[in-house]
Amino acid sequence: MPTLKVNGRKVTVAEDVYLLEACRAAGVEVPTLCNFDGLEPWGGCRLCVVDMSLAKWDDDWFKMVTACNHPVEEGMTVITDSERVLATRRVVLDLLLARCPETPLIQRLAREHGIEETSYELNPEPTDCILCGLCTRVCDHIGVSAIASTDRGWGREIAPPFNEPPPDCIGCLACAEICPTDHIKFTTSNSCRTIWGREFEMLRDPKTGEAVITKAQAEHFAARSGVPMTYFETSDRSKRLEVAKTVERLRVVKS
Amino acid sequence: MAEQPCVDLSKTEAILGSYPHEEPSLIQVLQDVHRAYNYLPCDVLVRVAEVLEVPLAKVFSVSTFYKAFSLEPQGDTIIKVCTGTACHIRGAGQLVEELERKLGIGAGETTEDLKFTVKTVNCVGACAMAPVMIVGEKYWGGAKPARMSRYLAEGGSDEN
Repeated sequence: MPTLKVNGRKVTVAEDVYLLEACRAAGVEVPTLCNFDGLEPWGGCRLCVVDMSLAKWDDDWFKMVTACNHPVEEGMTVITDSERVLATRRVVLDLLLARCPETPLIQRLAREHGIEETSYELNPEPTDCILCGLCTRVCDHIGVSAIASTDRGWGREIAPPFNEPPPDCIGCLACAEICPTDHIKFTTSNSCRTIWGREFEMLRDPKTGEAVITKAQAEHFAARSGVPMTYFETSDRSKRLEVAKTVERLRVVKS
Repeated sequence: MAEQPCVDLSKTEAILGSYPHEEPSLIQVLQDVHRAYNYLPCDVLVRVAEVLEVPLAKVFSVSTFYKAFSLEPQGDTIIKVCTGTACHIRGAGQLVEELERKLGIGAGETTEDLKFTVKTVNCVGACAMAPVMIVGEKYWGGAKPARMSRYLAEGGSDEN
């Protein structure tokens, strides 16, 4: 197990982890917007840059890398708050603030890095989307791939094919829930859910009548897992009620 | 989906037949499709996604990423006007204006008879010949608005 030095503190981590995890293990907070445990790191937001030096390098030789996707190595030295690292993060946040001037999360992160106002030209069409790619990656991860990044440069955005309601979407809300800035909008009522311009029929618990998940989502997971559809119809509350009843019965038996 | 004429899918099937049905074939297939139809029709993209077993969102993503692909029908002859620094200084703007007068279309547009599409590009790497205009496969250096008719008449052919 490799041992590293993060901001002067020694930390030993598993071999197959990335620098970000080593930093966290050392109790050092590194900001990131596009990283999510369980998804492959992507290195998209460039906020988690750190200075890194290998044992065999000259003492004053450091390289700036993204902590989220750089593998750890024995004897590494990591510095997360050097002047150039902080300057780089400020540029990233300055640019993000120009793109998303009205987004609370970006405003807060920028302020934490000493930026009250962007020094760049403001985006004439403010958006909450920071193009972190979490939504498309989680959609790929669950095997749906209903949305993707489209176009390039200025025009780049996350969209379903042909900018129409996506035929492959299952209405699971994974994209909306993972979105760090709540850019992806949806509505859920007892009978219907809308997201990406598509309407989905909700499955309802036969006992309590609550909406549980969309029918399309239940079908997707039933087909992949072999679990019967009825399992997906049962709401959490129903499941808890069932458990409570069983416990009650056991208590009766015991006494 | 933008309104598009029905397309003949047999050309697509022939193209798909000559590549392995897997994700790495995607760009090659799209390039061939683009050559065959002069653009990427929606129906064809749907079929390509189905056969190569690539999510439609991915196919759409690739199709919109590359400038070489167009999702709108394009003219038989594509006119590229270089608007890089050297060409811009030497009058690329007037070339674009002259094209607008002659064809009635601006940059990025296609004539109604589907003969010409006008595009502005950033640099074609021939700055010494500025301003440069490419009509079909033919390069015109030191292009002048007054000679536009000749460029349009002669440029369509692939011969040098």
